[in-house]
Amino acid sequence: MDEETVRKVARVARLDLTDEEVSKYAADLEDILSTFEVLDEAPSTEDFDLDPVPVEDRLRDDEVLAYPDPARLRREMRTADGWVRGPRLT
Amino acid sequence: MNGAELAAAVRRADVGYQVFAERLEDPIAYEGDHAFHFSTKDNLCSIDFQTRSGSRILEGYRPPFDATAIERLRKAGGLLIGKTNMDEFGFGSFSTNSAIGVPRNPFDLERCCGGSSGGAAAAASLIEDHLAVGVSTGGSISCPASFCGVVGLTPTYGRVSRWGLIDYGTSLDKVGLLSASSAPIRRYLPVISGPDPLDPTSQTQPPLDMSGGIDSVAVPEEMVADLSDDMRDAFQEAVGKLEGMGVEVLKVAMPALRYALPAYYILATAEASTNMARYCGMRYGDIVEDTDLGFNELFSSVRSRGLGSETKRRILLGTFCRMVGLRDRYYIKALQVRQLVIRQYEEAFQGADAVLTPTMPYVAPRFDEIETMTALEAYHADILTVPPNLAGLPHISLPCAYIGGMPAGMQLAAPHWKEGRLLSLAERWESEFQYRIPEGRT
Repeated sequence: MDEETVRKVARVARLDLTDEEVSKYAADLEDILSTFEVLDEAPSTEDFDLDPVPVEDRLRDDEVLAYPDPARLRREMRTADGWVRGPRLT
Repeated sequence: MNGAELAAAVRRADVGYQVFAERLEDPIAYEGDHAFHFSTKDNLCSIDFQTRSGSRILEGYRPPFDATAIERLRKAGGLLIGKTNMDEFGFGSFSTNSAIGVPRNPFDLERCCGGSSGGAAAAASLIEDHLAVGVSTGGSISCPASFCGVVGLTPTYGRVSRWGLIDYGTSLDKVGLLSASSAPIRRYLPVISGPDPLDPTSQTQPPLDMSGGIDSVAVPEEMVADLSDDMRDAFQEAVGKLEGMGVEVLKVAMPALRYALPAYYILATAEASTNMARYCGMRYGDIVEDTDLGFNELFSSVRSRGLGSETKRRILLGTFCRMVGLRDRYYIKALQVRQLVIRQYEEAFQGADAVLTPTMPYVAPRFDEIETMTALEAYHADILTVPPNLAGLPHISLPCAYIGGMPAGMQLAAPHWKEGRLLSLAERWESEFQYRIPEGRT
């Protein structure tokens, strides 16, 4: 990885680097990326996932916690011209 | 142990070995309702201490809640005595990449504890009857357990809720336990395990089965080829002891494991680079008064001052691997390779109950040796711990030898969700092999 690429990546990652850091990271990352080349030998597969074990989203069961009387709500709510009146924003 | 004895042990571990990022001050009220004492790595949120994850950028951050693992241990009667030192956000294998404190090895002050849960392993080693909560992404429980001569269990990915964990690699992070022997881990793993509505990855797990055993192990030849001579001899001796205990040892070939280290560093840094985006001075991170700066300049300034050099290196690497045109070559390929590695383990488990390797290629290095390592050499330290972590498999590191007075560990990996069989083998091993207690404990 050359120094220009390091500067570009650092801009994307919102990092300010000194010239000294740029040259050090360029050398380190070049070193590291060269070891990633072995992956080109690995066979490809369509069968892969984002997690190492199956994960599925489970939603909580809907549960009625309170059921207020609508008539009482209308009576006790602060209203004006048929609208609910909320607190001032400013 | 009473409160005064615990306070003395905690003070000794902190003053002598820099174990804690923050801890209870003397005297410690350890009595009555408390069944046990525990510490957690500093990347798990807790109410009564700062949570800085080894980073300057989180200085002063006090979470308003407990991580699920901490909450469950407190409910079981545990007293949280402190937060343990670690590599910044988990980025390291020696706990030297910390802005808060670098823990020292209980067996030799000139040597590291391993990482990134280094303080946790040292606490488990130095404080009697202590339970240390650690976190592993690519080996951060096994590595320090091996270097500090303690037992470290990393459960299956998804077994323990990660609610309240400061993320490193979202598809890799696992909360686990370290202790001087396997008994406390057997007792408290069921406490922290189980589904948690606050963490979707914990929701699909089968019930924790603490039964099962190990009658046969597979030793992958590729993974023991590059050991130092003394480590190879020590490992062979441990294998001999296992055979003496009636465990069948099979030599196998697992060629796909050679892809594990690069695939891990791609996934871990790609995920970390997105997780680190939140440290920009808005919600987290030091807020600067200089309002003349535009957003990009403000973010860059906060991050450049607050993040350490290894963190920047991993953010650069991860950002690069996710860039347009490179995503398929690196990130997607690494996901595919993870699947190959999982399949390779599944094949091995058809012939054996667990896969056995040494935990680390060497004993704890000295601080002066670590200073002269290149980044690549440091990453290479994880060669044996990364494969089961990448595959999300439960694994345990057990002390198995002492080389020149320094502990060395062996690591067993079991199929997904089979933590019980690892702990059964650990108990059998402990009846045959005596763990040493470091001088610093007394």
